[in-house]
Amino acid sequence: MSSALGSRRVVLVSGKGGVGKTTVSVALALAAARRGKRVLLCETQGATRVPAIFGRPSKGYEPMQVATNLDTLSITPEAAIEEYVLLQLHFRRLYRMVFRNRIMGAFVDAVPGLHDLIQLGKVWFAERETANGRARWDLVVVDAPATGHGLTMLGAPRAMMDLTGSGPFHDNAKLIADLMEDEARTALLLVSTAEEMPLRETVDLYARLGDMRRLVGGAVLNEVHPSPVPSPEAWTSERAALLAQGGGDVHAAIDIVDDELRAVSRQADARNRLASLGRVLDLPFQFHRDLSRAEYESFATALEVLL
Amino acid sequence: MTRVVVTCGSGGVGKTTTAAALALAFASRGERVAVLTIDPARRLADALSLKNVGNTAQRVPTPEGQLDAMMLDAKQTFDELLSRHSPSPEARDRILRNHYYRFVSERLPGVHEYMAMERLLSLCASDEYDAIVLDTPPARHALDFLAAPDRMAGLMDEGVMRWLVLPASTGGWRMIEMGSEVLAGVLKGMLGQRTIEDIAEFFTGFQSLWGGFRERSLATRELLRAPSTQFVLVTTPAPGSRAEALAFLEVLQRDGLPFAGFILNRCADPPPERVAWPGTDPEVRAAIESTLACRQRLVDAQEAAIADLLAHAPPGARAWRLPDSDTAVSSLEGLARLGRLASV
Repeated sequence: MSSALGSRRVVLVSGKGGVGKTTVSVALALAAARRGKRVLLCETQGATRVPAIFGRPSKGYEPMQVATNLDTLSITPEAAIEEYVLLQLHFRRLYRMVFRNRIMGAFVDAVPGLHDLIQLGKVWFAERETANGRARWDLVVVDAPATGHGLTMLGAPRAMMDLTGSGPFHDNAKLIADLMEDEARTALLLVSTAEEMPLRETVDLYARLGDMRRLVGGAVLNEVHPSPVPSPEAWTSERAALLAQGGGDVHAAIDIVDDELRAVSRQADARNRLASLGRVLDLPFQFHRDLSRAEYESFATALEVLL
Repeated sequence: MTRVVVTCGSGGVGKTTTAAALALAFASRGERVAVLTIDPARRLADALSLKNVGNTAQRVPTPEGQLDAMMLDAKQTFDELLSRHSPSPEARDRILRNHYYRFVSERLPGVHEYMAMERLLSLCASDEYDAIVLDTPPARHALDFLAAPDRMAGLMDEGVMRWLVLPASTGGWRMIEMGSEVLAGVLKGMLGQRTIEDIAEFFTGFQSLWGGFRERSLATRELLRAPSTQFVLVTTPAPGSRAEALAFLEVLQRDGLPFAGFILNRCADPPPERVAWPGTDPEVRAAIESTLACRQRLVDAQEAAIADLLAHAPPGARAWRLPDSDTAVSSLEGLARLGRLASV
């Protein structure tokens, strides 16, 4: 694999909650946009964190340009269903009659996976959208839901095909499944930190992907701590000397160095465990927590090799 | 009165671990405790000696007190409900074979919540416990959890039921309200006749079940607002978790749910203020000092985050700082120690 994502047109970014899926999605989208690709970054389930990163208020379901070559929008199941049905029914009045009906609301809730399917449907739609005679977007980056749910989302088209057996819904689900399962067009990028729970969930997700493993274009190890000492080997004797000579303050400082060394060793272990997923890229931990635009740009540089 | 502690929060903040830790801490004070949990990670299940996921109580071998753990399972929940409410074995088998049932029993939103609600009510009524810790499924909005039983009840609402069930019982769609016929046509067109029939059969078969649904949902709402109930928001000092915690808090306050405070996982200890270095290699010393400066920045960000959370919380809300639970989660003692740090 020379470039993990190469010419693929849809990249789904997934991982356990809180590991930095949005950060990675933004960095990847920025990297592609800097290369001249026209990029659409989709948040899912109504999340609207991306516009704030660019200092803009969210425009929800409407694409909004936030940087050169980069647009973002927030997919909500409700907006996607409305768009879909309008495309099918053509009449707004009919839509209102049908979909503002409370029974319909209850019914949409009763078909599990419909929300997930319809959000992927929007991604499918964006992938094939044209403007001025060519594809409107070169790359669609999807900030997908957390792993457990993310897997459900990926399986939603097949589940719907299985439920319905035939009919328009079945056929539409099949179109979406065809895109999502095509490794020439779609890639999955998994994000984890070196903590045990996210790591385990990421490795589990990969195992449960089965056939769809071929979509995985690599993994990002986020929040990587730097080594706290110049030479971990020499540290053992330095540490012993400091412990013997220093007071409580020195001991407290050593505790913190030890914390950081444990983090570094967890990271090495994490890289090994993620290696089976493909290329593993590191993003550094920012101790001050709130990322600046410049830091997103430097993360984008770190992810460029994926493209 | 049985005390109820509800842990809520977004995914990945250590909510399930925290629920187990609180339950163990209560048990270590000699209390009789039950913890209702959803999909615990293997390591946590191992630490609690829980063998299999199931809706029945499993005793956790604690040195003091008494702890029962239940891991809720959606599919099993539905199967149990089915066996309990089916008028006959034939009716039960018809549902078990139903295409829609097989599809829905693992995925219908609200199934976990429904089970948690049923369990919570029956455990409280049993008077066998001093405290019940309820872990909630990770949700984008706190309301998802609280509203799920209501949403399901709404779905089973008589009007909807009649509408869905009628085709099976009268052989045709009927105009019940404006647009129903059009709606029926659209649905049939999109999902196919067979799917609609499967769904109607499913709801007919389950009809007797929905009777008590609303009452139980209302009873739960009352219980969750009782003075004996406390909600704690589990979060971390990371910016993303903080934003989600604030969204949760808003919903808790809007719904008038009793809020006890935040449990902040993965909090860092501050570095020493001044270090009197014995003769140390300057390069090593510089590296350590830079590590300490990084830690100080992390603690500053953490304390600013906590101050921000408390500024949004009602007066009297607490913030409990817990360290990284990565090592604590492997043992009962570690978990109990962790739990005792939060004096909920």
